[in-house]
Amino acid sequence: MEKTITVTVNGTAYTRTVPLRLLLVDFIRDECGLTGTHIGCTYEGRCGACTVQIEGRAHKSCMKLAVQADGKEITTIEGLGSRDNLHRLQQAFSRYHALQCGFCTSGILMNAVDFLNENINPSEAEVRRALVGNLCRCTGYSHIVEAILAASATRHGLKPVPPPAETEPPP
Amino acid sequence: MSAAVETGWIGRSLERREDARLLTGRGEYLADVRVSDCLHVCFVRSSHAHARIKDIRLDAALEIPGVVGAITGAELSREIQGQKIPVLIPAFPAKYRQYWPLAVDEVYWHGEPLAAIVAKDKYVAEDAAAAVEIDYEPLPVVTDAEVALREDSPRVYDDWDSNEIFGTSYTGGFEADQIAKNDAEVEALFAQADVVLRQRFRTQRCGVCPIETRGALAIWSETDGLTVHLTTQRPHIERLALADLLELSTAEVRVVAPRDQGGGFGVKAPFYREHVVVCHLARKLGRPVRWIETREEHLMTVSQERDQIHDLEIAADREGRILALRNRGIGDVGDGRQGVYWGFVMPSLGSVMLPNAYGIRHADIKLRCAVTNKACMSPSRSFGALPTRFALERGLDMLARKLGLETAALKRRNLVTEFPFISVTGVHHDSGNYVKAWDKLVESVDLPGFRALQEEARASGRYIGIGFACGAEFSGIPSDVLVPLENQPGYGVVTMRIDPRGKIAIHEGDAPQGQSHETTMAQVAADAFGIHPDDVSVRHGDTGTTPLSSGTIGARGASYTVAAIAEAAAALKAKMARYMIHDHGLEGATADDFSFRGGAVIYEKDGNIRREFAALADRIVMGSINLPAGEDPGLEHTAYFEAPKPMICFTAQAAKVEVDIETGQFTILDYATCEDVGTVINPIVVEGQVQGGVVQGMSNAMFEEFLYDENGQQLTADFENYRLASAADVPNVTVGHSPTPCPDHPLGVRAVGEGRPGPVPGALANAICDALAPFGVESTTLPLKPEMILALIEAGRAGNGG
Repeated sequence: MEKTITVTVNGTAYTRTVPLRLLLVDFIRDECGLTGTHIGCTYEGRCGACTVQIEGRAHKSCMKLAVQADGKEITTIEGLGSRDNLHRLQQAFSRYHALQCGFCTSGILMNAVDFLNENINPSEAEVRRALVGNLCRCTGYSHIVEAILAASATRHGLKPVPPPAETEPPP
Repeated sequence: MSAAVETGWIGRSLERREDARLLTGRGEYLADVRVSDCLHVCFVRSSHAHARIKDIRLDAALEIPGVVGAITGAELSREIQGQKIPVLIPAFPAKYRQYWPLAVDEVYWHGEPLAAIVAKDKYVAEDAAAAVEIDYEPLPVVTDAEVALREDSPRVYDDWDSNEIFGTSYTGGFEADQIAKNDAEVEALFAQADVVLRQRFRTQRCGVCPIETRGALAIWSETDGLTVHLTTQRPHIERLALADLLELSTAEVRVVAPRDQGGGFGVKAPFYREHVVVCHLARKLGRPVRWIETREEHLMTVSQERDQIHDLEIAADREGRILALRNRGIGDVGDGRQGVYWGFVMPSLGSVMLPNAYGIRHADIKLRCAVTNKACMSPSRSFGALPTRFALERGLDMLARKLGLETAALKRRNLVTEFPFISVTGVHHDSGNYVKAWDKLVESVDLPGFRALQEEARASGRYIGIGFACGAEFSGIPSDVLVPLENQPGYGVVTMRIDPRGKIAIHEGDAPQGQSHETTMAQVAADAFGIHPDDVSVRHGDTGTTPLSSGTIGARGASYTVAAIAEAAAALKAKMARYMIHDHGLEGATADDFSFRGGAVIYEKDGNIRREFAALADRIVMGSINLPAGEDPGLEHTAYFEAPKPMICFTAQAAKVEVDIETGQFTILDYATCEDVGTVINPIVVEGQVQGGVVQGMSNAMFEEFLYDENGQQLTADFENYRLASAADVPNVTVGHSPTPCPDHPLGVRAVGEGRPGPVPGALANAICDALAPFGVESTTLPLKPEMILALIEAGRAGNGG
């Protein structure tokens, strides 16, 4: 069974006839060719690597069918910022070394942008709780938490993301 | 491109060059590689842990529209070689069993692949896999290694005389009489000791599964043969193995590890059976074929390590000096059929690493490894050593309590102090200052202050504790170890090219999975040539363009590969200096008279004699007339680096916890380390390696456990049941440093990638037991689940008379 749907992804309308069972994450990756959205737990909704924004709110795209997104506006990592115009949070992630392999990063960014829109000045504990739906195996999370806090601190007046505190230099 | 600072790139927290693409969704992971007309594979896996395959019926599957083909193990075994080939077998005796990637006649674990379906997309392939009908005749199952080692145990392989796949002694020598003599000497020391601790320690089956699963994309060309993109830490070894298994010339096989891989941690280091099936199907069908592992498949088949038991005995004097050590280890290696490691290489290295950073002179250490009807043990970061680190670090704490000594003091007293030091199991400790790093850690956690706080807390019914552990971990693995261990070379190698515009390309045959090679290696080269890191590119993972090496394993990047970069740079700088001497008529000058800085090559004795770096490169590469005598044109050099013996990267770690005695739950209040990484290339990258490694150790210690029921059914094949630590479960790690440059490395670097998770379970468990000392709690098993801790508290209360 198939259905013709139109989904707007990063401002571009994609009209496709798709099987009803096609998952949204596969629609984004295979029909739109946007491979920045990743699959880590293979449709368990646990790892968060597939997180995108639907109508401005973070959703795990492996937990939705493509047909459920018919008529909706989606933002993926490719729509967040470009190389030459990185989102503040993307800048903070680089400055704080909040990514190693980068596989979970897209999902974390899409979740964290939504979180920061709702939480102007979060505590470290709030940031850690907000990340429970995103698994990262490389970083141990600390640098991610620091990057999100740094980006949030710069929301007002759009000050530059502050650099991380100096790590202890070798004597 | 140029920047204000053009020297001194080593030691700076440069933002990573990988980040721009990874942060904008433009990473190049395996699943992102697109080729037209690609088919998809789904493996049919055994629903039994041990059974005879009576019949496999593919008819219903093949009738599903979109299904292109299917293959069973019986068919495959007639078409390719079995996996017992020299390139995949270590160089010491064990029972290496022949097998094919799809089961033939019999399955030996729940999840073993026995057929493969090829279809137009993964949805159809999964439908078809579900439609395959299989008749099994169940056979006896053994899932416990100790049971498996009994004479009367059911056999995993009925033609083996026992389930023991491997067993050896690590002390005393190679001959039976030498070993017996050593054992008797150790026994005599035990007899004289003031105190003896005897304890069994058990670490559960768990590992470090990456967030990106495994996969392969194979493309067959009648002209060029096989090109396969696959998730791997060692593309060159994969290439040799694939050629042998598929009976192709190596000239016909190119393996490409994707530029970006979503974590590896050792899990992507073995040669896995699925890869060769995908390659064979691409050749057979003449079309591109792809397999992307599901998380369920991943957790059923790989990332399973740590499954060891240790009966440890420590003999000591009253001051806590270790006189001798005795250990009987058991490794549960699962089915024991997996290229490179065969399940037992991890516990074997774990036994070698058991004495850790302690100057133990006498020991009797033996290991037996058993096959069971479980997935084959596959490697994870802190390779084999996490279980023995846990046993000894816990054992020493128990010993300290027995003697009424402060554990931090007892451990310090036993640390290696003179270098080089050869451990009782033969591990070479090159250099360092373990005591200094230990002292710095202990000072940083304010031990006396904490003891006062602890007493206060106990008075008000709160239980806080502190625990220590350390790790003397490999910084790369020399051929001296790797050739016997895995039949592979240990050297580091890069090919470095300088083009006529002064841009440097580094080609390395390893395959990183998040270790920041593109940044840190560019820093090293830029530092050497006095140019900007943006003018250095690092390419890796493609066997078509890189020199053969053993892969990104065992912290080889910053140790061996970076050392090879330093040596290649030195060779090319010397060549550029010789051209300068020739072109400017500087008779008697030597390479040392030239400095490379600010994008120029400068004659130090006369600053007016200088050439722009790019101009000199252009002269040597493009202007190939009027050459210096005996000199070749061109600027390309392949350098090999080999340290004669292992280099060590030391870590000392401390945990502070609070335990709720009503629930057994604990909170990590603080976690601190002190590292000796020698020269730091990029401080924030090093810090990231430590943070991540420690949290992997925490996650292993606290949550992760692969469970099999009595029928060998795997119960933990998703992230709900196999739980990883989330951001809310773990603290920030305070990373301290006490560097001593490594004398065997041209830049003094010690590589930090491998060992960090190993000491963590010991430190955490020690902290919990310290907190609960009033109840006499001594935990000896992992994971540290609240119900286990609560049971120990209750047992302690009962023992204390309530």
